[in-house]
Formats: sequence, C-alpha cells, structure tokens
Amino acid sequence: MSQSYLHQGSGQKLQRKLLGDWYQNLQEAPQRGEKVAYLFISGNIGELLQACGFHLVYPEVNALQCGIKKVAGPNILSAEDLGYSGDVCGYVKNDIGLLTGGNQMPQGTVLPPPDLLVCNYAGCATYLRWFEALAEFYQAEMVVVDVPYLRGTDGPTAEEKAYVERQLRELVTVCERITGQEFDPEAYRQAVARSAQTEDLWVDILQSAKRKPSPIDAYFEAVFFMAPIYVMRGTEACLDYYRAVKEEIDERVQRGIGPLAREEVRILMEGPPAWPHFRRFWEMFKKWGAVSVASTYSKVGGVWDLGFRHDPDRPFESMAEYMLGCYTNRNWGMRSDMLKSYAEEYEADALVIHSVKSCRSFSVGQADLREQFIREYDIPTLFIESDLADPRYFAEAQMKNRIDAFFEALKHRRVTAQV
Amino acid sequence: MYAAGIDVGSTQTKCIVLDENRNICGRGLRMTGADVMKASRQVFEQACELAGIETHEVGYTIGTGYGRFRVATGDDQITEISCHAKGAVHLFPKTRTILDIGGQDTKAIRTNERGEVVDFCMNDKCAAGTGRFLAAAAEVMGMDVSEIGPASLQSTQKLKITNVCTVFVESEILNQLGRGKKREDILAGVHRSIAGRSASLLRRVGLDEELTFTGGVAKNPGMLDAVRTRTKLQVNASEDSQFMGALGAALFALERELAGANRQEVQS
Ligand code: SF4
Repeated sequence: MSQSYLHQGSGQKLQRKLLGDWYQNLQEAPQRGEKVAYLFISGNIGELLQACGFHLVYPEVNALQCGIKKVAGPNILSAEDLGYSGDVCGYVKNDIGLLTGGNQMPQGTVLPPPDLLVCNYAGCATYLRWFEALAEFYQAEMVVVDVPYLRGTDGPTAEEKAYVERQLRELVTVCERITGQEFDPEAYRQAVARSAQTEDLWVDILQSAKRKPSPIDAYFEAVFFMAPIYVMRGTEACLDYYRAVKEEIDERVQRGIGPLAREEVRILMEGPPAWPHFRRFWEMFKKWGAVSVASTYSKVGGVWDLGFRHDPDRPFESMAEYMLGCYTNRNWGMRSDMLKSYAEEYEADALVIHSVKSCRSFSVGQADLREQFIREYDIPTLFIESDLADPRYFAEAQMKNRIDAFFEALKHRRVTAQV
Repeated sequence: MYAAGIDVGSTQTKCIVLDENRNICGRGLRMTGADVMKASRQVFEQACELAGIETHEVGYTIGTGYGRFRVATGDDQITEISCHAKGAVHLFPKTRTILDIGGQDTKAIRTNERGEVVDFCMNDKCAAGTGRFLAAAAEVMGMDVSEIGPASLQSTQKLKITNVCTVFVESEILNQLGRGKKREDILAGVHRSIAGRSASLLRRVGLDEELTFTGGVAKNPGMLDAVRTRTKLQVNASEDSQFMGALGAALFALERELAGANRQEVQS
C-alpha cells in the first residue's frame, strides 16, 4: 500500500470479526438445541438452509483457515496415518485430521457435529466421497443435490434447472423433518433479496479493478474479501460488510491508491492460492509490481460478474441457476472464454495459472489453457504448481525462479520496446 | 558499443563480452571461490582484455547465476534460466527446448522464438540423474569423467541400469561388473538411464522442434547420443555450452544498451 487512508484495512478487520463471531455462534449452537448442516462453498444453498433453521459449517473454509494458520500440514499427516493416500485432496485430509483430532479450529472453536450433510455437488466429484466419509463417521444423514455439469455453451438448459429445483424442494422436506421446524418461505425470500443486493456490491468491488491503477488486488486481497459472501450470504451482516468494503475501495479510488506502491504489471490469476504459504506466495508477485486485476478463484462461490443474480421473485429457480453456473461446474470452453474476456476488459498483460495438486476440478485442463493463451491469443502465460492445503508441495526456489524468469522477460520486452 | 554478461555459478564464474553486432569478442573463466565479487571482476577484466578493449567501454553489464546479486559491475540481474534460453536461441534459433545438466541439478526449459522462458522444471530434492551421478559412475569404474562418454559409445550389447540414485548406482555397477558385463555396455546403460530421467523432466515442459543441450555434461558425447536417441529430436550442443548463461546475459545487456541509445537519440 502506497499511503495510509481513512478506511485502511477496515474490510480485512471486519472480515476477521465476522468470521470470528460466526465460529463462536456455531460452537454454541448445540447447547441451544439448534441444528447444524454441513455444506460446500461452490453453489452453496446457505440462504435456504438458514431459512430451515440450520447453522452452517463449511469444511472447505475450515481447511483453508487451517492452511493459513499452518496446521493443515499436521492434520493432513494424521489423515495419512489413517490410510488416506497422498493423492487425496488436501482439503479432505485436513478435514479428516481435524475431526479425528477433536474438531478444534486453530483459533479455538470446537466445531459442532452435523445433523445434516448437504453435498451440493457442483463441479467436484471429491465432494461426494468427502461427505460419505463424514456421514459414516458422524452417523449423520446425507443428502446429495446432483448438479449436472455444464456441457453446452449456452449455460444451463430449462430441464437442468427444473431438475435441480425439484431436488431443492425435496430437500426442504428433509430439513423440516430434522429440525422439526417449518420452512419459512418469507425468510428465504428476504434472504435471497439481500443476496442479490450483496452481489451487486461485490461485483462493483471486483470490477473496480478495471481502473488503472487497480484499487484492489482481485486475487490476493479478493480471496479474503470474498469470504462473507460465500459463508453468510443473505444475512444483514454480510450486506453491511460489502457496504463497508465498497467504502474502503471507493476511497482508494478517490486517492488513486492501489494494493502496491506501483502497479507495473496487470495479471489474471487462475487457480486457488497456496494457502499454507500465502504471504510468501504473494511476495513473489509483489516484488515485480504485479497486481491481479481479475481472478477465477474469487468466483468459485459464484460467478456474478457475468450477470447472474439471485432473484427474490424466483428464489428456488434462481438458486438452481446459481448452483449450475458455478465456476468449476463450467466446461473448459466457458472457463477459457471467461479468462479471455477478462484479459480484454481488465487490460491484463499476462495470465498466471497456479495449478494445485489437490484439486482436479481446477487443474484438469489448465495445461491446455496455457497452450491456448500462448499460441492462439499470444498472451504471456505463466504456469506454476503447488497446493492449496498441503505445505509439502511448495518448492519455493523452483517457483521463485519460474516467476522471476517470467516477469523479467515481460520487463525486458518493455525496456527494449522500440521507441 | 560493447555489453557484457557475467554468470556466477557455484563452481565457475564466466563472462562474455559482445560487440554491437552480437559477436562474441571476449571470454573469461575462473573458479568462483569464496570471493564472488573478486571472481566476477576478474573474469570481466579477462574478457575485456581478450576483446582488446578497456573495461569502461562496456556500456551495460548483466549478472546471472546464483551469485548474480554480487556481481561487482552489474547494471541489472537476470535469472540463469532466462539467460540459458536467450543464449541457446541465439546460437540455435530453432531451439524450443533446453536441457541443462550441471553438477548438482538438471533443468528443462521451454522457450519461444524470442528466447523467452515459457516453462521451466528442475529435478528436486536429490542429485539423481545429474552430473554428480555420472561422476559417481566414473569413480566406481576407476575412470576419468571425460572418458566415460566416449567409452559408452563403444557399447555393443544393450544393458539396463535401473538406478538413477547416486548412492545405489555404485552397487548396481559393481554387481554388473561381477556378472562379467563389459564396461562400455554398463556405461551406455548409465547414460541411457540419465537420458530417460531427463526426458521425463523434458516432457513436463514439452518437447518441441530442436533441443539444445547446455551445462558441463553437454560436453559428454555419450550423453548427447543417449539424449538424441531418447528424444528423437535434433540435439544441438555448442563448444560454448558452459558459457551459455553468460552469453544470454550479455545479449540481454546489449539489447538494453541499444534500446537506451535509441531512446536518447529520439529525445535529443
Ligand atoms: S478437489 Fe477441489 S473442489 Fe473438490 S474438495 Fe478438493 S479442493 Fe475442493
């Protein structure tokens, strides 16, 4: 950050507080006799489950928190001790290690067990096995919402939407049975309305990166800013949060402040971050004045910038659309088109692909993406590999060399460009 | 107009001086030793002397290699992978893949027609399949490293060496000798086994058009042959293979210098 300003860090601080309160509230839920549902981030149906009276636990969010707090490594090792193989997704192994070790998060919260496991199966086959393991362990009920992978180019078909919507309605009856509470359609509608408002704000924030310099790093900062819209979307607190972040970003714009003192290179980021080494990972880019102007990971929980909004007039149908349109549920043609359009709209100089070993949903196809960007679009593309959870897959020297070689070529091209 | 590149490696420090037509007009080489600054200054002076110029006539210098930040006269630093790619494409313009086998590590680099790095990959963790491995094999055979390549080319019988581990290869070789296998056949197996390991590294960055082989091991004709057979590509190796990094650095330096001169002309 180049200079200090009024709202500096307020987005980050508030995010930490919101998540802290969230975890606290979770821990106390069983004492209050309230029910807990576990679900996944991609295409999550938080609004619906909350309107059914559930508290929500997102094992993926727990895993990334453990990653940042540097306890994912030990958790993964204890899962491997139980027999989980080296090839299993690090998020899953973190979760298994976490629960067999007493389910205590690094900041102290003890996670409540699930009364219901909702596998909102959007784009990741691992989800299914993960929750099957949890269902067995907790002897909890599991419901799978089958979300068909998008194969065509025109987005979900009417049949696909109807198929998912029907499953959501069936799910409501299961929820009512478990909570012993009647589903509140009005609360659901209101939550969905708040979601739509929140999504407008979030899109504004992300699109502020079209400016030069960009006021925000749309990857290294956005991955923190995105947490509330993923875990508590539809709540009043979440809406307030994005109002506050918007204020912070607006102030940066007014003052011409960016995430770095100088924006030298504008990059697009594809793939999840290296959570266990987040700071060091970011430093490798900062060093070159590289600012991310758009990223796909900040869209894993929802692709709103391409126009989709939750709709209070069609709360079930729009929820189905939302689930189908998740980033990892899109085929590779759609994903590469999305990046191509980002390159143009955000005037990016280069694409950076961070391929993570754990996650096939993300990584399969990335090598082809690189070829396409280099050969067809002539956009300089950097391909690096590590992991989003397992600290063992971070070859720092190798990665640093690779990043330096890439940016020095960009720099050399600029310096020697004929005047 | 002259520009220089200085490559400070862990064992040797090298310098190349180029004239404005990209001709190599001076080379410098010495052991790096403990004083990196001194080594870099000396190779630079040596190269200038060979070029028949004063050191101040060199307008731009780029340092590369592990000690690049301590090059006494450096204007900027660039990683060795970028420099190897730049040097290789300059000498062999159709190069798209580079294999660099040094004493402790093996690197595979993919480059584009501009000599920019597209991908890069390195052996991790241990010295399996590097120059160190060849040295260990030579030692067991009681030969000099420079002899094993030519000897391997005399092989008449195919023999498989399965180990690429520097520690275990010793017992495997002794074992084969004990079974009465010929030295040259065993050595050919050793070279093939390194070529195989290098090929898997190369495949990770992608094999394309011509391959240029750099680093100390590129001088070994047995390795050249094994890599050629394994990759089925045109494999280039230059007399200057150990100067490749310094050459690339000098090319970067010259381009910077030329761009700077152009800019001044436009401004004045
Ligand atoms: S494979 Fe990827 S999407 Fe699936 S659980 Fe693991 S990290 Fe998440």
